[in-house]
Amino acid sequence: MLQQTITILNKSGLHMRPAEQLVHLASQYQAEITLIKDDLQINGKSIMGILMLAAEHGSALTIKTDGTDEQEALQALVDLFEHHLGEQDE
Amino acid sequence: MTKKPIPIGDLIKRADLQLTPWTGHAGLSKEISNAEINRPGLALAGFTERFTNNRLQILGETELTYLLSLAIEDRRRTVEHILALDVPCMIITKGMAPPAELMEAGERFDTAILGSTLTTDEFSHSLIEYLEPYFAPSTAVHGALVDVYGIGLLFTGRSGIGKSETALDLVERGHRLVADDVVTVYRLRRGVVIGTGNELMQHHMEIRGVGLIDISSIFGIRGIRVRKRIEVVVELEEWQDQAKYDRTGLEEETTTLLDVELPFVRIPIVPGKNLTVIAEVVALNHSLKLVGVNSAEELNQRLVDVMNKKKSAKYDREDYE
Repeated sequence: MLQQTITILNKSGLHMRPAEQLVHLASQYQAEITLIKDDLQINGKSIMGILMLAAEHGSALTIKTDGTDEQEALQALVDLFEHHLGEQDE
Repeated sequence: MTKKPIPIGDLIKRADLQLTPWTGHAGLSKEISNAEINRPGLALAGFTERFTNNRLQILGETELTYLLSLAIEDRRRTVEHILALDVPCMIITKGMAPPAELMEAGERFDTAILGSTLTTDEFSHSLIEYLEPYFAPSTAVHGALVDVYGIGLLFTGRSGIGKSETALDLVERGHRLVADDVVTVYRLRRGVVIGTGNELMQHHMEIRGVGLIDISSIFGIRGIRVRKRIEVVVELEEWQDQAKYDRTGLEEETTTLLDVELPFVRIPIVPGKNLTVIAEVVALNHSLKLVGVNSAEELNQRLVDVMNKKKSAKYDREDYE
């Protein structure tokens, strides 16, 4: 099991479009993916769960991956967050 | 999940508790972190060993009459003695006014003295109704919760197995959705687990290929429910040839959720199987058991009776004298 905490960089936060990007990416991996914000812990392959986090710009999110491809999954997810979830700010 | 403590100031905002502060802003930022209440009768009498000072303290008519029966100096000493133990707040019921000494002590020890127009009983019930679910042990479960004929069925199983689709089909047939995808579950003291949805997502549901849909808009109020006791856990899984599925219903499997034991049914999914009807039958069968009818047990008993009769008939015939 691996985990890393990241910050939401894109201005509008984790709204529906970036959430869809995230869930598509997460679903490509076999590993179990869990996202944690405050006391809410959700399945990273569930769009509803991700929306529930209501993760705003600047908030911290912990990503946990568990499974055979946990390393690749974590790296790919962290990359996506670092690239502002595919959103073009300004 | 551990819950954040509740500031006393937030209690006042709840209309059902009918609280007003007698001591202005004093102590409103103090917090409570449990759902227990205490009537400090013995503490007022001077016995403060094992005094549960972290609970909300309620002064009813009895306690107040006792306080007023004391001489002013004793009264002052008594209330100061209790408030010095750092209680979250004092609540006086039935709209009675606190003695001046109590209000002074409240301000000195920065502890709110609140008044409620409710009787002690009414107040305790309303308070516990609010605090108990809030501080109850809780967790989030990946699944869908539907009220089927009044029985709370919690569908679990891996992502994409068809929990949402089953729930949707049940709503279509007149049952009520409580939550889809993430179900927040909390345990009441009586060993009852209650499931509810997320405030933000409410009764939305994701159907693969369609996207997010709002069940309350599509089906209206009849298709939704805010919370429901979870009574049976139904796990959906792919058919496995080697798995041993329940064929008689005599063995009742259970699973635990927040340490509460719940009936557990595993349903294998194969093409052409109508999961919705099976789910309805699971709910109805559970209802039957609740009223004391266990169909599998009864059938088995009939079978045993028939066999016994055959055996004794044979014995009679063969026992010649």
